Amino acid sequence: MHPGRQLAVLGLLFAILYVLVFWGPGTKGLGYEERLHPKLGLDLIGGTQATYRASLLTNGQVPSQQSMEESRKIIDQRVNALGVAEAEVVIEGNQNIVVSVAGKANDQLKNVGQAAQMRFRMVLGANGDTADSVMNPQAAAPSTDPSGSPAPSAATSKAPAANASAAPSASTGGQGGGELAPSASPSPSAPAASASAAPAPAPSASAAAPAPVTADVKEQRAAIEKKVGKAAWAAAEKLTAPVDTTDAAAAAVYKPFNALNSVEVNALTPEMQFYVPTISCTQLDGRPSGAIDDEKSKVVSCQTGAKLLMDVAKVLGTDIDTASPQLDQQSQWVVSLDFTSSGQAKWTALTREAFQPAADSPCLTAAAALSSGATHCLVAVVLDKEVISAPEIQGVLSGQSQISGSFDATSAKELADQIKYGALPVTFTPLSSETVSATLGIAQLEAGLLAAAIGLGLVAIYSFFYYRLLGSVIFLSLLLSGLLTFGALVVLGRTTGFTLTLAGIAGFIVSLGVAADSFVIYFERLKDEIHEGRSARSAVPRAWARARRTIISANTITIMCAVVLYIVSIGAVKGFAFALGLSTVLDLVVVFLFRHPIMTMFANTKAFMSPRVSGLGRALKRQPTEKEA
Amino acid sequence: MANGLADRLYRGEANLNIVGRRNRWFAIAAVLVLIAIGSFIFRQFHLGIEFSGGTKFSLPASVGSTDNARSAVAKAIDEAGVAGDDNIGAAQKVGDGNDASYTVRTGTLSQAQSTAVKDALVKDLNVSPDDISDDRVSAAWGGQVTQQALLGLGIFLVVVMGYLVIRFEWRMAVAAVSSLLLDLVLTAGVYSLIGFEVTPSTVIGFLTILGFSLYDVVVVFDKVQENTKGITAGSSRTYAEATNLAVNQTLMRSINTGLVALLPVGGLLFIGAGLLGAGTLKDLGLVLFVGMGLGVLSSIMFAAPLLSALKDQEPRIKSHNARVLSRRSSRSGDVARGDRTRTATEQDGDDVPAFAGSTPSTTPRPGVRPAAKRSTNRGGSAGNRPSGGQKRR
Repeated sequence: MHPGRQLAVLGLLFAILYVLVFWGPGTKGLGYEERLHPKLGLDLIGGTQATYRASLLTNGQVPSQQSMEESRKIIDQRVNALGVAEAEVVIEGNQNIVVSVAGKANDQLKNVGQAAQMRFRMVLGANGDTADSVMNPQAAAPSTDPSGSPAPSAATSKAPAANASAAPSASTGGQGGGELAPSASPSPSAPAASASAAPAPAPSASAAAPAPVTADVKEQRAAIEKKVGKAAWAAAEKLTAPVDTTDAAAAAVYKPFNALNSVEVNALTPEMQFYVPTISCTQLDGRPSGAIDDEKSKVVSCQTGAKLLMDVAKVLGTDIDTASPQLDQQSQWVVSLDFTSSGQAKWTALTREAFQPAADSPCLTAAAALSSGATHCLVAVVLDKEVISAPEIQGVLSGQSQISGSFDATSAKELADQIKYGALPVTFTPLSSETVSATLGIAQLEAGLLAAAIGLGLVAIYSFFYYRLLGSVIFLSLLLSGLLTFGALVVLGRTTGFTLTLAGIAGFIVSLGVAADSFVIYFERLKDEIHEGRSARSAVPRAWARARRTIISANTITIMCAVVLYIVSIGAVKGFAFALGLSTVLDLVVVFLFRHPIMTMFANTKAFMSPRVSGLGRALKRQPTEKEA
Repeated sequence: MANGLADRLYRGEANLNIVGRRNRWFAIAAVLVLIAIGSFIFRQFHLGIEFSGGTKFSLPASVGSTDNARSAVAKAIDEAGVAGDDNIGAAQKVGDGNDASYTVRTGTLSQAQSTAVKDALVKDLNVSPDDISDDRVSAAWGGQVTQQALLGLGIFLVVVMGYLVIRFEWRMAVAAVSSLLLDLVLTAGVYSLIGFEVTPSTVIGFLTILGFSLYDVVVVFDKVQENTKGITAGSSRTYAEATNLAVNQTLMRSINTGLVALLPVGGLLFIGAGLLGAGTLKDLGLVLFVGMGLGVLSSIMFAAPLLSALKDQEPRIKSHNARVLSRRSSRSGDVARGDRTRTATEQDGDDVPAFAGSTPSTTPRPGVRPAAKRSTNRGGSAGNRPSGGQKRR
C-alpha cells in the first residue's frame, strides 16, 4: 500500500476517535473541557458509596458469614457488569454490604442489592383485585362492565406471532379495582369454572392442608383467626373458587381480611390469599421480600391489578445457564435465556404442560381470563415478588427462550446480568447512598502524570541522542499513541464505563514503553540491513518485513494474555486485561499506520542516509572504512 | 577505529559470552529462586487491607480533613498500643456537609483492640463515643478474584505454550515460559523480602510484567530462530554459539528497550518514593521497575541460555555440535592460543580451542570486515566458545 494511504487511514481513525470524544454519545450537556475527561477511578476522584442491609432470617438471626460472602461476590459481579470497572464491594459489620463505585452512580446502584430469585410458575388462577369493590359496593358497579377490565400484559414473546394483548389497557381499568376478565371464572354459570371447581382445586386444597407449616406460621394463623373472627376464617378456609363479588352479602363475610397487614397476609395459605376477595393487591405487594420465593409452594402475586395464583415453581433461576439482552423482531428488548441441560428438560416439561393442558385444567380458565381467546396456559416469569410477564405458551419450547416485558436496553441488561450472576442468598434493603472522597486523590494522579512526563522526556532525549532525527519518529509515534490511548479512554469511559485507576495509568505508561520498543526492533533491523550494504530504499522494506514478523508475534502473545484474562477473570483484573488489550491494539495501529509509512517516506530522502541526520549514520560510516581496508 | 564497547554494542558485535556461561546464570537464578521461595515461606507477604479485611473507624466531620482523620487514628492506635501503624489504609470522606464523616481503615483488630482504639479516639478528639463507630470490614478483593486471576494465568500459559510451540518449537516455548515464571517468582520474592504491602494496584502491576516479560523473550527468540535456521547444514557454529550471537545482536535492542520502558517507570518510582513518600505510586513503580528490569535481564541471561541447554539435548543438534567441534579442533590448532588464559573460565575451555575468526559474526556477507573479526578475536572469543563440549567428546 502506498504510504500516503496508510497515513490517510490513520488520520481517518484519528478524526473518528476525536469526533466521538467531542460529539459522540454521552457528551450532551458537557462543556468542551469536560468532554476531554476520562472516567477516573474511585482511588483518584472518589465516588458513590451505597450501603445495603441484609434482612434478618426468619428465625431472627443475622445471615451467616458464608451467605454474606456469597452475596458480596454476586453483588461484586453485578456491579462490575454495569461496566463500572474497579468497584469496591465489602461486607461491613455482620449485616451490611457497602458498594463503592467511581463517580456519581446512584442510578446504577439502585438495584444491585436485589435478590433476583427467578421462578417460572404456571398460572393456575387469575382474578381481579376485588378488594375495593367488596369493601365499597357502590363503586363496584362499573367494574362488572367487561370493557373496564384490565388485561394484564400477557406479552407473548415465544412465538413470532407475538401479538399479545394490549398491556396499557390496565391503566384504564377504572376505579372499580377492575374485575378481571368478562365471563369465565367468577360467573358460576360458566361451565368451565364449575367443572374445574370440583376436581382441580381439590388437590390444591389438600396440598394446602398438609403443607409443612412451621410452628411460627401456625401461631400467626391462629392469631389471624382470632383477629378476623371464626366465621370469616372458616369461610375463607373453605374457599376453592373465587367468590362471586356481585353478591355483596356473600362477599361481606370476608371483610375483616382487608384489615390484615402484609405480614399477616403472608402467613395465610396461598389459596386464601388468592380466593379471599377482600385481600387487595396493595396488601399482597407489601409482603416482605422473599415472600413468594419458596419454589415448593403455590404463590399469589399481582400483575397490573390482577391477582394471579401460581403453581409451584417447576423451573428456577438456577436452571438458567446464561442470559443476555436482545432485540426481538419487533425491536422490543427481551432477555434471552439459555438453560442448563437439566434446566432445559424441566423447561420443556413445563411448557408442554402449559401448551397441552388437560382440558379441565384450571390454568386454561386463568389463561382465558387474562387474555381472551387464549387456548393454552400461561407461565409467569417471577422475579422476587414481581411478575415480570405471564406469556401464553405457544408451543413446546425445547431451545432458547425469551422473556419479554416492558424492558428497555438498560433494564433488559440488568435482568440478564441478575440471572447470569445468580440470585442473592439473602435479601437486602438499600440503606443509604453517599459520596465518598478519593482514597489517593488528585495529588497522586498529578505526581504519576508528572513522573510519566519526566520519563517520556528522558526517552525522547535518549532516542534523539541515539537515533538522531529518527528519534523524532519515536517521539511522534509516542505522542500519537498517547493521544489515541487518551481518546479511546475518554470514549470508553463514557460508553462502557471504563474506569482509569492509578494502576491503570501506570500500565499505560508501560505500554508506551512497549510501543516505543516496536520501533526499536524495527530500527535495529534496519541497521542490520544497511550494515549488510543495502541502500536505504531496499533496506526499509526488508527490515519492515522481518520486524513485522517479530512485532506481530510478540503482540499476539500480549493480546492472548489480555483476552484470556478478560474472559476468565473478574473484578479489577478484568479491567486490567481490557487496558492491556486496548494498548496493544493501539500499538499495532501506530506501528502499521504510522511508523512504517513514515519510514518508507523517509527512505526516499537524501537526509535518511546522512550520518548527522539519521542514527543510521554510524552503521553507514563504516562502509567507506571497510573499502579502504 | 573506535571499537569501544558502546560501539560494538551498537553494531551488535559486543560478543559478550552470555550463553557460554549458562551454568553460572542457572546457578544464580536457582539461588535467587531459593531465596524468594524461602522468603515466601518464612516472611510471607504483607497483604493490604483490600485482601485481608480489617476494621473501619468512622469519625465525625469535626475532624476536618482526611489527613487529620488518618493521623488521629494512627495516634489512637499508638496510644492503645495495638498493631503496627503501617497497616492504616487511606482515609475517605463520606457524604457532604453536616452529615459528612471520615472513615479510616486499619488492619484487622480484635474486638478489644478496636474498643481500645475507639476509646483513645474519643479522648483525643474530645467527641462523644456515639460519634465514632468501628466496624469490621471484609476483604474487597475476595478470594474469588485471585482464584479467577490464577485460573486465567494458567489458561494463558497453556495457550501461549501452544502458540509458541506452533510459532517456534516446544523447547523455545518451555524456555520462554520458564523465564516468565522466573520473573514472576523473583518479583514476588522482592516484594516478600522487602515487605512492601501488596495491594490490588501491585497485583495489577505484577500482571503488567507478565505481558512485558514474554514480549521481550519472544523478540530475542525470534532472532535466535533466524540465526539457527538451517544451522545443521553448515558446520561453522554450535547451537549455543548461534544463540549467543543472536543474543549479542539483540543486545542493543534489549538495552534500548530496557531504557525506553524503564525510564518512565523509574520516573514513577522516583516521584512516588522521593516526593510523596509511601503510597500506591511507589508500590506500583517498584513492582514494575523490578519486574521489567528482571524481564529484560532474564530474556538475555536466562531464556536464551536455557534454550541452548535444552537444544543441546536434541539428538540432531547434539550430533551437529559434535561435528562442528571435531572439525574445529582438527584445523584450528593455531588459532587464538593466546585467548585461552583469558577465556578459560570453565573447565571445557582447556581442551576446546577458542573459536575465533572462522565465522565473521552476524551477517551473511562473509569476511569483508576486519573490524568485526578483530573484535571477535579480542573481546569475545569466549562468546563463541562452545559450551559443554567436553561432555560430548
